[in-house]
Parts: sequence; structure tokens; C-alpha cells
Amino acid sequence: MKEKSKVKRALFKTCAVLLVLVSGVLVFSDCHKKESLAKGQRYVVLSPEIAEIIAVLEGTQHIVGVTAECNWPESLKAKAKVGQFGAVNKEKIIALKPSIVFASSLEQQAIGSELSKLGINVVTVYPKSVEEMLQGILTVGDAIGEKNRATFAADSLRSELQKLSRNFQPNPRPKIYLEIYREPLMSVSDKSFVGELIELAGGDNIFPELERDYCRIKSEDVIKAAPDLIICYSKDTRAKIKSRMGWQNIPAVKNDRIYLEEDINPDWLLRAGPRCVLGVQRLQELMQYSVGK
Amino acid sequence: MKNKLLFCGLLVLGIVLGWFYLSAGQIDGNILLNVRLPRLLLTLFTGMTLAGVGSVYQMMLNNPLAEPYILGVSSGAALGSVIAGLAGLFILMPVFGFAGALLTMLLVWLLAQKKGQFDKTRLLLSGIIVGMFLSAVISLIMYLFQQDAMLILGTLMGNLGHIFSATEYRFFLILTVVGLLVLVLIHHDSLTLDVMSEGDLYAGSVGIQVHRLRQRLFVLCSLLTGIVVAYAGIIGFVGLIIPHIVRLIVGTSQRKVYPLSLLGGGVFLLGCDFLAMHLTALELPVGVITAFIGCPFFVWLLLRKKA
Repeated sequence: MKEKSKVKRALFKTCAVLLVLVSGVLVFSDCHKKESLAKGQRYVVLSPEIAEIIAVLEGTQHIVGVTAECNWPESLKAKAKVGQFGAVNKEKIIALKPSIVFASSLEQQAIGSELSKLGINVVTVYPKSVEEMLQGILTVGDAIGEKNRATFAADSLRSELQKLSRNFQPNPRPKIYLEIYREPLMSVSDKSFVGELIELAGGDNIFPELERDYCRIKSEDVIKAAPDLIICYSKDTRAKIKSRMGWQNIPAVKNDRIYLEEDINPDWLLRAGPRCVLGVQRLQELMQYSVGK
Repeated sequence: MKNKLLFCGLLVLGIVLGWFYLSAGQIDGNILLNVRLPRLLLTLFTGMTLAGVGSVYQMMLNNPLAEPYILGVSSGAALGSVIAGLAGLFILMPVFGFAGALLTMLLVWLLAQKKGQFDKTRLLLSGIIVGMFLSAVISLIMYLFQQDAMLILGTLMGNLGHIFSATEYRFFLILTVVGLLVLVLIHHDSLTLDVMSEGDLYAGSVGIQVHRLRQRLFVLCSLLTGIVVAYAGIIGFVGLIIPHIVRLIVGTSQRKVYPLSLLGGGVFLLGCDFLAMHLTALELPVGVITAFIGCPFFVWLLLRKKA
């Protein structure tokens, strides 16, 4: 009996030691693998939206090159520039030996497919709605090996946006005109990212439906819609907006509720990135009161 | 007789179009007075000027393909407008545009001098070269500032939807009145242009100072083109096709062609802009509409020349 229990104990001991060893090796090798993966990562980011997503996933230190438009977070200013959003220098990208190139769609589709031909790993993320942006966070997270962090970030962003939307439901909803261009006048539809944010924040976009998400509009249609708030990202000044012929009776103009880039950061609203939460918060503040000018 | 009939017909057509132009859709007095009326005036003035200047250039340069933009002034005006727009100085766009037109005009003027003479061929060539160079500058700007492509496209394809401020509108009205006076002034040279179409030598022999007349017409027409491009951008083909259509109907006498071109140009552009606004839900650039109608005509004109 004693013998038997001795053997049993020995077996148990060996098993335990083995288990510890194996798991130790496993853990170590996993750590090692992860470290080496992170060490070898070199991202080139062509779109400012993706740069912001990577920042939230704490991968900024692996970014080796960006386009001129990528200005957030601050640390990107020191990174090598590979051109502008719509005019990227292919050679500079290749010279940086990226492990992943993050590209947007539109102008960048062509360059993305060219880089893929050269065997470079190109990940395209082009979110056009809040849901697609949250999905984009997961895609980026997947690509850079930060799946858990991405899931957490997407979930908390979603719940934060839902909370903001729930807690501010003005009645009637203030009518908002967002001007993105002046010559010719251009605004956004509800299908655009910023249009969705306006509605989510509790405002009422005066152009719910347009031919395109970002579209040319007529001056007289703005006058007819009589917006309560004007958000102007077209570089025009408050005084000049007020002096536009026929605009004097628009409530936003009469009540001095015209907001410019310095009142609400356009990157918070126009970029489909995680900072849209700040944009929604600020929009709600602007709807609540007229900020000092 | 024929030209009087055409004149009356165009006038009626213009009034009907103008009525539709002003009253389409739901509008109130505010929109009518402050948005649509300015646009109507700008459209009419632009169309009249382009067609009038086109007819003068075709006669003066003895070239059926001449149009208001051929002497480079439009590119200078467009470049000026674009620069002001990129700097965010929207209200100053016409001022910069006009300044660009003036500078270009001066440059072309200097290049066109040959031993103190104002040479026709030299004028045409230097106008085209300067225009091409400035177009290249605009292309470069468009490439570098892609986010402002809409502004540049609006200038290159024509945009009559200029938003005026009250002061700017007053300024524009003054310019329009001056412009109309200049258009009338130019009509006084119509007879001389008719004579000149027989050749410089012949015109000189009957006592016309050919070079001086060309200089004067060049300056006046450039000023007008400058004003128009500064406000409305480059709207192609109006200046080319309208005078030709008019000539097909009433013959080549500039005295008849010029006033009918003025009226025809105004009415034609009004129609095109109406189409640009209402053809699709998305407003189209008016220069595209005029080109859609103008291009087939241009081809037809060329084929007809060959035959």
C-alpha cells in the first residue's frame, strides 16, 4: 500500500512539475512571440481616422510613417511623412519597410491595391457610419494583435454614445445646418458620418437627404429650412455669413448662433474616429446654450 | 426684317424663361429678391457679355474659332479667384479675379507688341500661350490643394450661384451698369469691324486705324471678360456658338450680329442655368450644360468648314 501511494505521489509530483514547466514554456514562448510581433511591427498610416483608432489601441509607438493630415495624437508630428491624403509617395512608403499599411478608401484605393501587388500587407478601413467606425476599430485591433483592447474600446465607445444620446433629447430638436464648403455651398446628409452624429446628439440636420453624403446645396434651401444653429467649417467668418443676402431672417443668424472651427473642432465631427464622442458632447453643449464669442 | 423677328422672338423667350427662372418651386419675397434676382442678373450679364465679346473677337481676329477666353484673360481671372478662395477670402474672389484679368491683359498686351505695332497674329499667339501657362498653374494648385477641388472646379466649369453680401451686390450692380455701357460702346465699332473683315489693308485704305482699334477692343473686351469670369467662373461655348448661330440666321454683318448675340447669349445662358439647377436634384455646373450643347455644334461647325 505504502509503495503504491509512493508511486502515486511521485507520479503526481512529476505531473505537477511537468505542468508547471509546460505552462511556463508556453507562457514564456507566448510572451516572446508577442514581444517579437510587437517589436517587428511597422505601421504606415495613410488616413487620420485610422491613426486615431491606433492611438486608442495604444499602438502609436509602432507607427513609422503617416500622411500630412494625421495630426492626432501630437506624437505623430515627429513621424516620417509619406505625402498627403490624396497624393501619397509610394517610394517613401516602401522605403519605410512597413509590416502593415493602413489605408482609407476613395483616393487611396488605387494606391492600396498597388502596394498589395508588391506584397505589402494593406488593411483598408473606411468607415462611413458610427457602426462602421466601431467595426473599423475591431478590424484595426485584429490587424495589430490587440483584439481584446479593440473589443473593449468599441464597446465602451458604443455605450458612451448611447448614454449621451439617451441623456439629451431636446423637444423640439434644434435644426442644424452644417456648412463644409462655401464656393459652392456644400452640406451633409444624414447618411454621412457627421450627419449621423448630429441626429445622435439630438439635433435635426436640415438636409436629411441629399444626392450624395457630402453634397452641393442651394443658398435658398438653407433660407427655407431656417436652421437654429449653423456650424460653419468653410473658412468663412461670422460677419460674412451674417451679411449673405437673404440670410438675415434665419434664426441662427438672428440669434447669433453661428459656430466656427474654434467653437467645435471639425476633426471631432468629420473624422470617423473615436474622438466623435467629444464631438457629440460639444454639439450638445452648443445646442444647450450659446457659447461666448 | 429677319433680325427684327429674331430679336422679338428672343425677347419673348427671355421673358418667359426669366419668369420660370425666378418663380420655380416654393419661394417667398425674400428668396426672390435676395437670391434669385441677383443670380438672374449675373446670368444675363454673363451670357450677354460672353456672346458679345465672342462675336467681336471672331471679327477682330478674323478667326471663326475665337471666343472670349482665347486671349488668356479668363485664365488670369480664374487664377485670381482661386487664390482668393483658397485663402478663405470669398468676398474678395471677384476682386482678385478682376485683378488677375488686368495683369494678364497687360502681359498679353506687352507680348503682342511687335516693333511698336499691335499685331493680330502675335496677339492671338501670346494670348493663347499666356492662357495655357496660367491654366497649368491652376492645375498645379488643384493638385496641391485637393480638398479645395470643388472651388477650383466651380471656377473652371462655371458657377452662377455666387452668394452676394449686400455691399458686394451693390458693387456688382455698379459693375453691371458700367459693363452694359461698355457693351453699348463696343457696338459703335461694329461698322468698322465689318469693314475690317475685308482685310487690314483695305480697312487701312479707307482710313481706319486698324491697330489702334484692335488695342481698344482688346482692352474693353478683356475688362468685360475679367468681370464675368471673376463672378461666374469660366463658362465655355456661349461666346463661341451664339455668334455663329446668329450669323447663320441673319448673315455676317456685325451690326446685326452683335446686338442679337448679346440678347441670344443672355437668353441661352439663362436657359442653360435653369437646366443646370433643375435637370437633376444635384445642381450641375453650368459650364457642363453649355458644353453639352456646344460641343456637338463645334464639331458640326468644323465638319461644315471642311465641306
